Amino acid sequence: MATHPEAVDRELGGCPVMHRDFAPEQPAGCHWELAAELREASPAYFNTYAQGYWVFTRHDAVRDIYKTPELFSSESITPWQPDPIYRFVPTQIDAPDHIKYRRIVNPWFSPREMDAAEESMRALCRRLVEEVAVTGRCDFVTGFALRFPTEAFLSVSGIDPSDADLFVPWVEDFFSGFGGDPAGLEAMGKALDGIREYWVAALEERRGEAGPREGDLASHLLHSTFDDRPLTDAEMLDMLTVLVLAGLDTTRATLGYLFRHLATHPEHRRRLIEEPELIPSAVEEVLRYYTIIFGDGRKVTRDTEFHGVQLKQGDMVYALVSGANRDPRAYERADEFVIDRKRNHHMGFANGPHRCLGAHLARRELQLAVEEWLRVIPDFRIATDEELRERGGGAMMTLTSLPLVWDVTS
Amino acid sequence: MRLAVDGTSCMGHGRCYQMAPDLLSCDDEGYVTIRDQTIDVPGDQLEAAEDAEGTCPEQAITLLP
Repeated sequence: MATHPEAVDRELGGCPVMHRDFAPEQPAGCHWELAAELREASPAYFNTYAQGYWVFTRHDAVRDIYKTPELFSSESITPWQPDPIYRFVPTQIDAPDHIKYRRIVNPWFSPREMDAAEESMRALCRRLVEEVAVTGRCDFVTGFALRFPTEAFLSVSGIDPSDADLFVPWVEDFFSGFGGDPAGLEAMGKALDGIREYWVAALEERRGEAGPREGDLASHLLHSTFDDRPLTDAEMLDMLTVLVLAGLDTTRATLGYLFRHLATHPEHRRRLIEEPELIPSAVEEVLRYYTIIFGDGRKVTRDTEFHGVQLKQGDMVYALVSGANRDPRAYERADEFVIDRKRNHHMGFANGPHRCLGAHLARRELQLAVEEWLRVIPDFRIATDEELRERGGGAMMTLTSLPLVWDVTS
Repeated sequence: MRLAVDGTSCMGHGRCYQMAPDLLSCDDEGYVTIRDQTIDVPGDQLEAAEDAEGTCPEQAITLLP
C-alpha cells in the first residue's frame, strides 16, 4: 500500500497520511481489495493527493456523511476537484432547493413508472440478448452492457433510441476526465458540450407547445415549475446532462460485474434459473458486494469534529462506500456474496437525500438482464485467460472488457 | 406489533414495500405511503415487517410492541 508519511502543513491529530491517486486502471476487483485493506487498517486517512482530502473507510462514518448533508455539502462530489467545471442538478444542490428539483423528477423514475415501462424494456433486452445469442460469443461490455441501459434510458425518457450511438461515446469521454486525470479533461469538456448541444436542440424543438408530450422527459421539464416559476434553460440542461451521465454509465458498470460473477459461479446461475424469485435479492447483493462507486465526495460546511477527526470548513472528504458495503461491522459474512441475503440494507444507491434517483430504473434493468439472458443463454464462461481490467476508482469502477463465450446449439 | 415510519429519514429506496408487498405500498414519487405514521401489523405479516425494518438503508422503520 502506498501509504507513507508526507509533510502536511496542518495538524492531523495523528491521522494516518497517504499519497494516492485512485484514478488509474487496475486489475478487476482491486478497488474492493484496496477499500477493505484501508478500512481494516484505519477508520480515517488524510490523502495528500491533489489539494489534500480526508478519506473515511467504515460503514458508520460513510453513513453519517450521507445522512448529515448540512455538514457535508454536495457542491463537489469529487474530493480531488473541489470546484468542478460542471454543475449537476439535483446532484450538487443542497437544501432547501434540492428536494424541489427532486420532486420534479422523482415521479419520472418511480417504481410505478418502471412497472409501466417494464414490458418495453423487456422487449429491448430480449432483442439484444437474442441478437448476441446466435454468435456464441461477445464482449459483454460493448455487446450488451453499454447498449441495454442506454436504449432503456432513452426509451423511458422519450428519446429516439437510435441516438444511443451519440450518447455512448460522450459518456465514455466524460468519465475519462471525471477521475481528475488532466489528460482526460479536454475530452470531458467536449463531451459535456456535445450533450448540452443535443439537449439545447431538443428543448428548442419542444418549446412553446401547449402541453407536455407524453413520456418525453425534456418536454416534461419545459412544463415543470420551481417555486411557481418555470425552470430556466440552465437548470433543465444541468438536469438532463446528469441524468444521461448517471443513467448510462452506472448500470453498464454494474452489469459487467454481475455477469462476470455469473460467468464464474455456475452454481449461482443454476440457482437463479431454478429459483427466479431470488433474482431481486441477487441483484441487491450485487449492489452491495460489487458497489461500483469507490467513494463519494462531499465538501465540509463548517469546522467540526467528526469520527475523531478535526475537519475545517472547505475541506473535502471521500466516503469509501465500496468498502463500507463490505464492512464486517455492519454486515454478517460481509466478504461473501450471499445470493439470498435477507435484510440487505446496503448503501449501493447511496443514503440520505441524494439517494440515487435512478435506483428503481437500475434495479429493474439489472433484474430484466438476468431474466432474459439466463432464459436464452443459461451457460456461459469467460473467454480469456488474460486478467480482466477495471477503470479506476476516480469515477465508477467498470470492466473495460468482458469477453464471454457459450455453446450454440443449432 | 406495530410498524412506524420516520418520514424525515425515508428517502424512497423502495426496499420496504418490495420486502412486504402485502403490508406496504408506494406513492407516486416512490416513497412508502405511510411516512410519519404507525400501522398495526397483522399476524401473518410479522416476518415481512421484520424484513422491511431490517432492509431499510435509512433505518427509517421501527417495529413497536
